[in-house]
Amino acid sequence: MECFSLLRSDVPALIDHLRDFGEVIAPHGKGDVSYSFEVVRDSSDVVLDYNRTLLPLKKMFLPPVEKLMGFSLKNESFEQVEVAIAPRVFFGVHSYEMQSILRLDHSMLSGSAESNYFKRRQSSRFLGISFEPDEFHFSESVGIVIEEMEGFDLFLNEVDGDFQLYVLTDNGQEMLNGFDKINLTEPEIVEGRHFKKKIRYHYNRLPRVFQYAYHSDVWADVASRCVGCGACTLTCPTCFCFDVHDHVEVTAEDGMRQRSWDSCMLSTFAEVAGGENFREKTINRTRHRLFRKFKYITDEEGLPWCVGCGRCTAFCPAGISMPDIVNELIQEDEKAQYHRTVRV
Amino acid sequence: MKPQVAFFDFTSCEGCQLNKLNFENDLLDILKHVDIVEFREAMDDKADHYDIAFIEGSITSPSCVERIHDIRRRSDILVALGSCAVNGGVNAMKNLHPIDEVRETVYGDDKYLFATLPAMAVSSVVKVDYEVRGCPMTQQDFLKLLIALVLGKQPPKYGSPVCVECKLKENECLYNRGMVCLGPITRGGCDAVCPSFGQFCTGCRGILDNPNIDGMLEVMTSHGISLDEAKKRMLLYNSNEVQL
Repeated sequence: MECFSLLRSDVPALIDHLRDFGEVIAPHGKGDVSYSFEVVRDSSDVVLDYNRTLLPLKKMFLPPVEKLMGFSLKNESFEQVEVAIAPRVFFGVHSYEMQSILRLDHSMLSGSAESNYFKRRQSSRFLGISFEPDEFHFSESVGIVIEEMEGFDLFLNEVDGDFQLYVLTDNGQEMLNGFDKINLTEPEIVEGRHFKKKIRYHYNRLPRVFQYAYHSDVWADVASRCVGCGACTLTCPTCFCFDVHDHVEVTAEDGMRQRSWDSCMLSTFAEVAGGENFREKTINRTRHRLFRKFKYITDEEGLPWCVGCGRCTAFCPAGISMPDIVNELIQEDEKAQYHRTVRV
Repeated sequence: MKPQVAFFDFTSCEGCQLNKLNFENDLLDILKHVDIVEFREAMDDKADHYDIAFIEGSITSPSCVERIHDIRRRSDILVALGSCAVNGGVNAMKNLHPIDEVRETVYGDDKYLFATLPAMAVSSVVKVDYEVRGCPMTQQDFLKLLIALVLGKQPPKYGSPVCVECKLKENECLYNRGMVCLGPITRGGCDAVCPSFGQFCTGCRGILDNPNIDGMLEVMTSHGISLDEAKKRMLLYNSNEVQL
């Protein structure tokens, strides 16, 4: 693994250089205080210091709304949309975001692979960047440090305002060929970047906490504050649920089948034919959301399915905090354990 | 034979009806599927039977009740169009005040000449088969329903909040821009058109089923408006739906 120094002022030149390898997608400012991953038109628009984007990078592999096929009622025919494999470079990605893509890979590609996702995922390269955790990030608590480099081809670590560029793969090496604004250097360890938000337990203790959490009182408290808007799940980088709809044009002859993101926090999500609803109450849905992140998949894969990006908390209009819920469950579990213990 | 379609207006601004006359590009396609047999704003014809009757406006007087029963008897499918017809809409704000007070404010000394009722949704009086929500209803929404009915399919139902469409479009949350928005508990299907153009949601498509009203009031007041103001905003389009 080689490490190079790179001046902050030379980063736009690096982005322009990377455009030879395909479309570059990087964080841009959006609205008053937000950020979003967009295709780079002008490398000087790219934001290097950002807390989190509104939608996760997932949107580039599993678009929020996607046409799956077109059909004609008149000719009784249909045509599937072919997704082209195009090389793309994802620039300025945080470590938790990369980890979410690796988890999505598992969800979308194990068993029968989801072909559209697979095609978009192919020939994508990733350049990571370090970040300063804000009051919502808690990825360290789920085992992802700021400098976690798994999945990246290149990684930019900020040191005293400038950057150290780590070359992690052959693809990364190839991307730097012909770029002369970097100098070989010794890797430095950066001190002083601390996560302000934490889950009290190591993540490998959480499955046990969740084992006893099903009937907890915490859920009712959360449900009383939750307004059911679905923001938490729609902005979650590891959520992958979608719904499929058919739309017919006004001609009543042609139409298309569309897929769009869905959310288990919506009251209609678990509604089935006949009007039955498996998770009718908010309390059922809140619990389900956390169990999906810390229990169901975790039991099988040994990893929390939450990457600690803090989006569900930062974008919740009611200010409901995922790590706070987990900490409350821990506290409740400790009390219960005390009572469960037989003392002699 | 093409389905015979009619449009009727009750207490409303007639904005939804007018909206349909603006179809322009789609109008010829629509007329391929249906025959319009009654439409006061666009034509003089009358018919005895309707395959689909579209009703705009809320029911606010004894004569309205009589007329809507008559239309219902002569219609196979009856569709409520726009917020007034679906749940009473802004008209229903009058229901928050004593009816005598309302009559006096509007008609003064002549109040006894004008019979009035609380503003009601069409479905409070007769059976409504389908609804197109919004103030005004959008052309897109209307066309989806019409095409579904023409094809003999179930029209789309919207059970998720405006926030969903906002998130899918990656809009910055208006709460982050210092506004107080009703998106979290308002029925979507509008493609989040207001928030997408920087205008907070006023709840014109109605409140979701089983909303967390207390939670929503808490969200609104925690963003700096008084409880009174928060309640008023919630009631603007939903006086008949929300009990505060």
